[in-house]
Amino acid sequence: MTASTDTEGYTLTTEAVLATRRRKRIVSAAVTAVLLALVVWSIDVTVVKDTDWERMGSIANVLEATNRFIGIDFELFPTLLGPAIETLLIACLGTFLGALICIPAAWFGAMNITPFKPITYPLARLMMTLSRSIHEIVWALFFVAVMGLGAMAGVFAIAVRSVGFIAKMSAEAIEDIDHGPVEAIRAVGGGPFQVFLYAVLPQVLPQVIGVVIFEWEINIRRSAILGLVGAGGLGLVFFRQMNTFNHHGVTTVILAILIIIVFGEAVSHAIRRRMI
Amino acid sequence: MDSQDIARGPTAAGTPREWRRFRYPQSLISYGSWLIAFTVIVYSIEYLNIPLDRMFGMFGRMGEILADRYYPADIEYIMDVDYIGSVIETIQMAYLGALFGLLITIPLAWFAAYNMTPSRLFVYPGARFASMCCRAVHETIWTILFVSILGFGMLPGVLALTLFSAGFAAKLFAEEIEAIDMGPVEAMWATGANLFQVMVFGVFPQVRVAFTGIGIYTWDVAFRAATVVGFFGAGGMGWYLKRNVMQIETERVAAIILSIIVLVLISELISAWARNFVMKMK
Repeated sequence: MTASTDTEGYTLTTEAVLATRRRKRIVSAAVTAVLLALVVWSIDVTVVKDTDWERMGSIANVLEATNRFIGIDFELFPTLLGPAIETLLIACLGTFLGALICIPAAWFGAMNITPFKPITYPLARLMMTLSRSIHEIVWALFFVAVMGLGAMAGVFAIAVRSVGFIAKMSAEAIEDIDHGPVEAIRAVGGGPFQVFLYAVLPQVLPQVIGVVIFEWEINIRRSAILGLVGAGGLGLVFFRQMNTFNHHGVTTVILAILIIIVFGEAVSHAIRRRMI
Repeated sequence: MDSQDIARGPTAAGTPREWRRFRYPQSLISYGSWLIAFTVIVYSIEYLNIPLDRMFGMFGRMGEILADRYYPADIEYIMDVDYIGSVIETIQMAYLGALFGLLITIPLAWFAAYNMTPSRLFVYPGARFASMCCRAVHETIWTILFVSILGFGMLPGVLALTLFSAGFAAKLFAEEIEAIDMGPVEAMWATGANLFQVMVFGVFPQVRVAFTGIGIYTWDVAFRAATVVGFFGAGGMGWYLKRNVMQIETERVAAIILSIIVLVLISELISAWARNFVMKMK
């Protein structure tokens, strides 16, 4: 009796396993076929039809065009120092301002401490998504239009762009905190602001500082290109070299960008390792 | 240590000692780093000539400009057939760029993973450097370079996005390979498999799901980047953005930015759903 049900159950499961396996295989085959068809269509539209093959010419022409960029313009080095420092400082200030804007955003965006859930929580989430979904070039265009050319527009673009990431990570850190201190502060009559200041902030500060430093590292990369739309720094030099067809100068500026990014990465790595 | 201090200190018997969060060496480091950060910020405000006094009036002006010039977004403009065609082109560009980038990522991440790299002395640093260069140079700079070499069109955009996605995904994927269980790998070494066989049968089955997740995420990020590569001459909706910014058609610019936001939101939702789906399929 028991044996027969066992075998029956066994055959049933085998069939079920085989059926699921077959279904999975069909699903993955269908997904692969759709993806491949999309690839073929996209290659046809973007690469085959849209490219101006005659202008590009033969491979030799392309190699020649590439070859123009190989070489370093040593005369440019002294003039790069100022813009390089400017780029670094725009990143620093932008990250700082972004972290300041993040304090309310993270406070409102963390499910467990948000002051008034139906309004403040969606508001903060909207802020984060807006900031993350718009590219830094678009933000820079907007701020250049509002406050004119110069480093300030770059600082604001960087700040607004970094809010999304920092606030999201901080809100997640806040949602994971230990609730004891929060309840203790509430029990002695602390308001929402005091709860945030004395119970939440000390618990999440190390994590948040780590995120901010990581974002600073990304922001150096961003601030290096904001000059392309008129917001100061190395991007402006790049733009000028490109427009005057000084191709070796372009390579030099890219090298300078690489150097400051490696510097930023080393600093951020050292600080984060020291903190942990 | 604290209790010992209190026990030994002269105040232990008399008045209670004042409580401090940080003691001498830590307090110095803590206050010192805050001071350094503060100095850097003040110095950068000074160096960049940021007019702090104008900053407060700025928010009012920002609201005015938004209300006057950008407010009634020209929705009809983005419902145009040409514009929707450019949106589809953008999606295709992001798709191809992410795909080619992921194809490059597989060998690059393999070479840049410390535990599986063919040679720790030569290949590992080379692959790390290559992936860092792809990541460090911003996608717009890649676009400008490719446009100047290959001419206008979507091909330079696809290539720029390829390098961008390769740099982005290679780092994540290399970290994933470094975190695998080395048991199967060692078992395969012991049976005399070569490096390629170990990779195919020992490593890839372990990272397949993670790789799919990274791939979907890469597509999401590449789409975000693809919305602006057109700004520098590489096709897609960025070109519309550039044209309308240059012509100061602010209401159309507002509509384009709105469409970017909506599309990014949709792509984010799709990518989250697809990653969930892949995790379940595991």
